[in-house]
Amino acid sequence: MAFLQAVLDGLMIGGVYAVISIGLTLVFGVMGIINFAQAEFLMLGMFIAYFAWQFLGLDPLIGSVLSFAIIFGVGVLVQMTLIQRVLHAPPVAQIFVTVGLLIVIENLALIAFGSDFRSVSTPYQTSALRLGPLFLSVPYLAAFLMSLLSGCALWLFTNKTWYGRAMRATAQDPMAAHLMGIDADRMRQIAFGLGVGLTAFGGAVILPYFTVQPTVGQQFVVLMFTAVVLGGLGSVAGAVVGGLAVGVIQSVSTLFFPIQLQNLILFIVFITVLALRPTGLLGAAR
Amino acid sequence: MKICKTEEKATSNGAGTRAGGTLSRRHVLAAGGAALAMPYLSRTARAQGSEVNVGVVVPLSGANAQFGVNSRNGIQLVADQINEKGGIKSLGGAKINLIIADSTSTPTTAATVGQRLVTQNQVVAILGAYASSLTLALSEATERRQIPLLTMSFSDQITGRGFKYVFQVISKASTIGAAQLEGTVEIAKAAGQKLETVAIMYEDTAYGTSQAKGLRDTAAKHGIKVAMDEAYPLGITDVTPLINKLRATDAQVVFPCSYLNDGLQIIRSMRQQDITLPVIGGAGGYVIPDFKKGLGEFAEGVLSVAPGNYDLAPELTNAFKERYGYFMVHEALEHAVCLDVLAQALEAAGKADPAAVREALSTERFEGGWCNAMPGGAVDFDETGLNSLAKPMMVQWRGEDLVTVWPDDLAKAKPVWNGA
Repeated sequence: MAFLQAVLDGLMIGGVYAVISIGLTLVFGVMGIINFAQAEFLMLGMFIAYFAWQFLGLDPLIGSVLSFAIIFGVGVLVQMTLIQRVLHAPPVAQIFVTVGLLIVIENLALIAFGSDFRSVSTPYQTSALRLGPLFLSVPYLAAFLMSLLSGCALWLFTNKTWYGRAMRATAQDPMAAHLMGIDADRMRQIAFGLGVGLTAFGGAVILPYFTVQPTVGQQFVVLMFTAVVLGGLGSVAGAVVGGLAVGVIQSVSTLFFPIQLQNLILFIVFITVLALRPTGLLGAAR
Repeated sequence: MKICKTEEKATSNGAGTRAGGTLSRRHVLAAGGAALAMPYLSRTARAQGSEVNVGVVVPLSGANAQFGVNSRNGIQLVADQINEKGGIKSLGGAKINLIIADSTSTPTTAATVGQRLVTQNQVVAILGAYASSLTLALSEATERRQIPLLTMSFSDQITGRGFKYVFQVISKASTIGAAQLEGTVEIAKAAGQKLETVAIMYEDTAYGTSQAKGLRDTAAKHGIKVAMDEAYPLGITDVTPLINKLRATDAQVVFPCSYLNDGLQIIRSMRQQDITLPVIGGAGGYVIPDFKKGLGEFAEGVLSVAPGNYDLAPELTNAFKERYGYFMVHEALEHAVCLDVLAQALEAAGKADPAAVREALSTERFEGGWCNAMPGGAVDFDETGLNSLAKPMMVQWRGEDLVTVWPDDLAKAKPVWNGA
């Protein structure tokens, strides 16, 4: 029963890891760029939802839509002004840009918001559902369902809409896509906007149980990269599997080992998987 | 940026250029790391006349930022008070000039900025660094440079290493942990409950680890069973496993030693699972206004151990509330005491010299001023640098306020046990 509870908790939190990681993998998949600043957009998403709660009285779960929309716009701008310039530059230049962005965003947030921890209070954040002997935390469940929803929306977008298909075409072969009349630059803007927007969305939905502060990204960045690489860099399905796996491994490992070691266990599994399957669990054949 | 330069040299002097690609990538990461670690130094406006530079190293960003800001506010308040009253008289009215550095909640940065304060700003002493893990790192630097370090961090190791230049104004963590357990036993007993089984959970840096040791040892002494004894990493993103473990025990009370974010998560998860055990916090995140703000009604009645509380000396601490808009949290209070003690030591030493200040700190007994706000009423450092007069106490949340409830001679109100 304890095992079932641990798996359930792991899946709930893993769902959130999945959504924030999808953003990272999407950007890499379409552009071949690793966005080191990705977790900072999670922080921005959390702040937007926080302020929406404080000043507009919006629940963070609704505010998350606002987070997505605003950060989508920011993402498009960042792509147009910064990332576009280094698309064909050596990897070092690309790392410089995104690491630089990380430092700039984090420090701007420190200047603008101060280093206070901020936390919302919602009526459901201290309630849980009981399924027989199992407990299902309501804020975790809400975050999980919102993540699921956004994952489905992304799937519909990439598979059923012209834009989505055009984006995938750009990812597969930018030149051919261009010849078919697809504006590859526009597609990259959408991909980057979607990528950071989803991560911001993921940040907003965890706000009912997590506090926000300008350096909160650091707590998630390693988990995010682990989920993405575990699942297979560049693969959206991989990020989902990776995110869920990270959550479940963290949670289940606490049954057998001290909680302190939960990330150690995670990385042992991580290294083992990479040793056996260097492309990750669902590694895309790139 | 120095790191970047040396790295460059290493590359050009290196054997071959074949590895250029990987080397430069490492180079980039090193540069990024250096920039991330680059501390933010700020300097208060220079006062006129002679000055004494006092270094302040506190975490103004990162996981412990909230506490660093509180600490800085407390120090700033006292510095302004001293300067308004004419500075250090035995130094010809020299003003206290605070040089505040951000340790970014990272031990290595704490040590680096501490070193810089010594070499570049000729500070006569350093105050800081709130979190025990930061203070331990910082004290390595100050001891090497023979600069007195005054701290209100908890860990036993701070004064347990035979250092000559470190001074701890509050009780050490094992004493605080012992009081956390003993106070609880007494309060429960007064309410007619005998404690037989308890649970301990703590963040795994220096503070949580040494305080948990105090709890554990004292429980053994009283024959109390520790049903759960679990450490967790400071930046924990999900506390559910902790609470699942807690639920599976028959503990009557839980002692969490946590900072703010972990503390909030622990209480919320407990309430989600309808666990209504009394929570006795280990100071840290349990005794600041944000705890109440984050939990609302669930904060009511939560007990915590504390090395000091503002209601012991409202005549002193009201100035803080007026200036900053929230009650004077214990880290602000004890840092205020640190600076007052330092000012008295400077007064006694008669010269702004680190060695003379150390001598005064270790020999004098400090009374009056902010020392009145300490539970012991005065500050007297023993040969290890520990304030031998300090003693821990217990506080309880009542509405927007923290009220001292134990021990009886300090208590401002009767403790409420388990909502009764």
